[in-house]
Amino acid sequence: MTPAQTTQAARRRRLAPRLPGAGMATRAGVTGAACLLSLLLPLLLSQYAMSVAVTVVTFAILGLGLNVVVGYAGLLDLGYAAFFAIGAYTSSLLELHTHLSFWETLPLAVIAAAISGCIIGYPTLRLRSDYLAIVTLGFGEIVRIIATNLNVTGGPNGLYGIPAATVFGTSILTSNAQYYLGLFLMAVAVAVTGLLSRSRLGRAWRSLREDETASEAVGVPATKVKLLAYVMGAMVGALAGMFFSARFGAIDPTSFTYNTSVMILIVVIVGGMGSIPGMILGAVIVVALPEVLRPISNYRLLLFALALIVLMLARPQGIWPARRSRPGSFTAPPEPAGAAPAPAGRRSEPGSVLLSVAGLGHSFGGVTAIDDVSIDLHAGEILSLIGPNGAGKTTVFNCITGLVTPQRGSVLLGGRSLRKLRPHKIVSLGVARTFQSIRLFEGLDVAENCLVGLAAHQGRLLARHGLLGRTTAADRRQALRWLEFAGLSGQAHLLAAQLSYGDRRRLEIARALTSAPLILLLDEPGAGTNPTEKQALMQLIRQVRDSGVAVLLIEHDMDLVMGLSDRVIVLDQGRIIAAGPPAQVRSDARVIDAYLGREETGSGETVEEVLGWHS
Amino acid sequence: MSAFLQYLVNGLTSGAFLALVALGYTMIYGIIRLINFAHGDVVMVGSFAGYTMVTTLVAQHWPVAAVVLVALVAGMAITGGLGMLIERVAYQPLLNSSRLAILISALGVSLALEEGARIIFGAGFSSYPNILPAANFSVGGAHASYVQLAMFGLCLLLMLGLYLFVHRTATGTAMRALAMDRDAARLMGINVERTIILTFLLGSVLAGASGVMQGLYYSQINFIMGFLLGLRAFTAAVLGGIGNIPGAMVAGLLIGLIGSFSDGYVSSQWTDAIIFAVLIGVLVFKPTGLFGERVAERA
Amino acid sequence: MALLTVAGLHASYGDVPALRGVSLEVGEGEIVALLGSNGAGKTTTLRSISGLMRPRSGSITFAGTDITRRRAHAIVAMGLNQVPEGRRIFPALSVEENINLGGYLSRRDRAVIAQRKQQVFDLFPRLAERRRQLGGTLSGGEQQMLAIGRALMNQPRLLALDEPSMGLAPVMVRAVGEVIRRIRAQGTAILMVEQNVRQALVLADRAYVLETGRIVIDGPASELAQDARVQHAYLGGSAEEAASSP
Repeated sequence: MTPAQTTQAARRRRLAPRLPGAGMATRAGVTGAACLLSLLLPLLLSQYAMSVAVTVVTFAILGLGLNVVVGYAGLLDLGYAAFFAIGAYTSSLLELHTHLSFWETLPLAVIAAAISGCIIGYPTLRLRSDYLAIVTLGFGEIVRIIATNLNVTGGPNGLYGIPAATVFGTSILTSNAQYYLGLFLMAVAVAVTGLLSRSRLGRAWRSLREDETASEAVGVPATKVKLLAYVMGAMVGALAGMFFSARFGAIDPTSFTYNTSVMILIVVIVGGMGSIPGMILGAVIVVALPEVLRPISNYRLLLFALALIVLMLARPQGIWPARRSRPGSFTAPPEPAGAAPAPAGRRSEPGSVLLSVAGLGHSFGGVTAIDDVSIDLHAGEILSLIGPNGAGKTTVFNCITGLVTPQRGSVLLGGRSLRKLRPHKIVSLGVARTFQSIRLFEGLDVAENCLVGLAAHQGRLLARHGLLGRTTAADRRQALRWLEFAGLSGQAHLLAAQLSYGDRRRLEIARALTSAPLILLLDEPGAGTNPTEKQALMQLIRQVRDSGVAVLLIEHDMDLVMGLSDRVIVLDQGRIIAAGPPAQVRSDARVIDAYLGREETGSGETVEEVLGWHS
Repeated sequence: MSAFLQYLVNGLTSGAFLALVALGYTMIYGIIRLINFAHGDVVMVGSFAGYTMVTTLVAQHWPVAAVVLVALVAGMAITGGLGMLIERVAYQPLLNSSRLAILISALGVSLALEEGARIIFGAGFSSYPNILPAANFSVGGAHASYVQLAMFGLCLLLMLGLYLFVHRTATGTAMRALAMDRDAARLMGINVERTIILTFLLGSVLAGASGVMQGLYYSQINFIMGFLLGLRAFTAAVLGGIGNIPGAMVAGLLIGLIGSFSDGYVSSQWTDAIIFAVLIGVLVFKPTGLFGERVAERA
Repeated sequence: MALLTVAGLHASYGDVPALRGVSLEVGEGEIVALLGSNGAGKTTTLRSISGLMRPRSGSITFAGTDITRRRAHAIVAMGLNQVPEGRRIFPALSVEENINLGGYLSRRDRAVIAQRKQQVFDLFPRLAERRRQLGGTLSGGEQQMLAIGRALMNQPRLLALDEPSMGLAPVMVRAVGEVIRRIRAQGTAILMVEQNVRQALVLADRAYVLETGRIVIDGPASELAQDARVQHAYLGGSAEEAASSP
């Protein structure tokens, strides 16, 4: 196994004990009781305590919004208070200058935040997640500094005289009324973020969080999907900002500092990333704990800080961590009669040239990885790419699938150039792949792994089926058919991480097939399989070919290569040194020298050459 | 012209202080992938340790050179010890947990240090007594003091020492190796936990030196001075390419210069916005910072 | 007294058991192969032996000392080295720096380091040619040489190899086999985990077969090569075929 697989294996095992099951009824009970309690709260608490409760609700909304970015999409954001500020300032300025009401400014404030979400999201799209921390932090500070220095925002003094929100003609002025308004807005945020987490978009976020390269390789438009996380998070944040300004009637930049961003992040992490009840609990702790400590005012922040450290040491996953999707929630829909063993994909004329690679060349830092590589892949064939380690086989794959933009040469799919297209675009055009070191979405179940792949097939993850589109029965049927094809239908509800090694290979193939490709690129599917698994794998690859998908295969296992291929191409040091039917290639002198070595006679010589022993 | 040179001199001085802090961020990030939010506050603790030493020793009429030397050494020793303690108590148990958990723990440590300092030293400013000689010289109309020059030299010396340690010694190589692959480092016989603590020791000692020098140079210190300092130093670490030691040094000086020129030509109120805008602009075009990151990608 | 004795080892990841009572021995100067399919527990066994993970119960004794709870770096100090699966070269360090790190525990003795480095370069002249190159730029076969050479810098009494031929071209697989023979000839015992059962059974003196965390077959390698169960599950062919392969 490669290192990546080792970590995956370790993760797989770590995930296992957190499986859902027990405690679900308890959770439902606790949730119900909490809802009831929150409605009755004003009867139980003092005015002062109710004003604290209003702050808790504000932070819960903020936590829910940031949870979309951090919890769902796995993007770190240290400047979230910026959206809080943008919501507050937009709504206040509109109310003060145009006399629009609270509710009338709501869509405008939310749109303003969405636009700023695009602005912050855009430069971060290409960045590694760690850099997001500083860029978002910088964005948050820039927004605060602008608000502090502009006249229109009232400078350091901020804005005041902001009218309170009105509901049915009544101004919301008392703590109790504000509390119920906040509770309503929080319910909206809960509903919206809850829907998002179950939508296609939510699944795309989870796949992105698990493995960005793999999700692009199954057709998730990563940059667009990431941007949407910022936009959605920003919109929820704006809601909190509006509520905040209407509550106090005045705002100034000190409410939207880096410390505010940090407090919101603490809500998310302490509550438990990705979990909606966790956000509410987190807000209770972050807001109420310092209040409880108020009698010892001089030491309360110190104690809060120490409590935070102890809490993290004791529960690094948060207090109410996100629950995995229920096992068995993926029930097989009734199968239409007479379903073919292989679901219908895109068909192509047998024998025609599907993929044409010509004069492909690429160097990494002056070292030539591949040079003048030309390959024609015909419809209905299995073509193998073999050669010593470092010969450039995987680089060829990466050039075709868009992970690497080749410096020289062309890649044409049915006459259309794939050069410079993003990986997800290439998948949607019909080129799917697997990885040498199996890259599954470990924390998603087997069926979900395939459902992510469906996005590419349908092309329009976002537009055609609606942002919040839930998985349709047709989607499920489609995914299940491919699972059945790969012999995995019985394991649809397991986490990918729980599969055996051979099944992991098969799932990766099934997931790639779900995008209905014309061409499937397999990178060493036989690595680490035992003879029994290997036989089954060969059978599966033949079935793929027979279903009309052309296969390009990288492999070291000669049994597999010789047993499967219609043609074989041999790469050595980045160049093609032989091509032809398997039997011919096997007896080619150059191939034996460079790759196979001499089996019977004088095997020592070649080995010693390889090692550089010339004694 | 003379104003320009003056801003240049001031920028280089504050940039050198910043670079020392940025090194700590970059080393700690490189080795355990943690944005150590408490690092700026460690500088603050160093400043207060130096302040305590200086006021005590000045009251006992020690000679200036001895006061400065003892304050520097004491500040570095205290922050070094503090850095190791923080790692052992608040980070080490979380090394295998989610990276956000350890981040929150770091935020907790940061707040605890700030509040601790506020409780002990109060919320206002504390002033280092003015003990350093004011002798200065002028270059093209700009004034630079010999103290400034000496501090700048000391910063460069410390940075050079760190660079040589990390790149020329076996322990330094072990640090770089463990930043790339912790388990593989264990299999080389490297005591990983001890090497991580050593990294915190080195980073915090540099932070302490920076803290004492800033106290001596600017005189005014307070319990939240670490916040802005940390923010700028972290920005420098990212700008230089995180994990890249020479990158952090150069970017530290650069941020110092940008800050000084912005203070002079624009307004100090906009300085941080300008610094962040420069950072974001650079990252858009060069996503791994000016000099490239030195962090191995791990799946 | 065997050099390495593993007795009744149980290990698990979370609640999922990975090893359910593994016992094995490696004698001085012996080559022992640990075989089995993916997920059988081979890597877990090696990781437990080298201290990268804590077993639940059972004991591991090396050179007469109980090392069950010892930390990885202390186990290396006793002369037990592991070459991990996937080779785990430090990609941004030079070949020479990688090799130097292998001798980390002897770092204060420059003469010893220089002498051992020369021995490694004698065994792998390719590495001497590429000593200034970054580890990450080496080909898979060269990386495997570097990983083995790096471990030899510690002059181990026992070398544990995890999948040394994984992902290598056929000729390189045989080259690694030749290297393993040489290392043993110098007196180092070898415990190797292999997917390539044929090559492993040709190289090894004895072998163990792991299935779902238990040793199910063990014996001299030549006997295992003839064992019907081994042939069926791992060789995928007849006895003649297995015996005649390299």
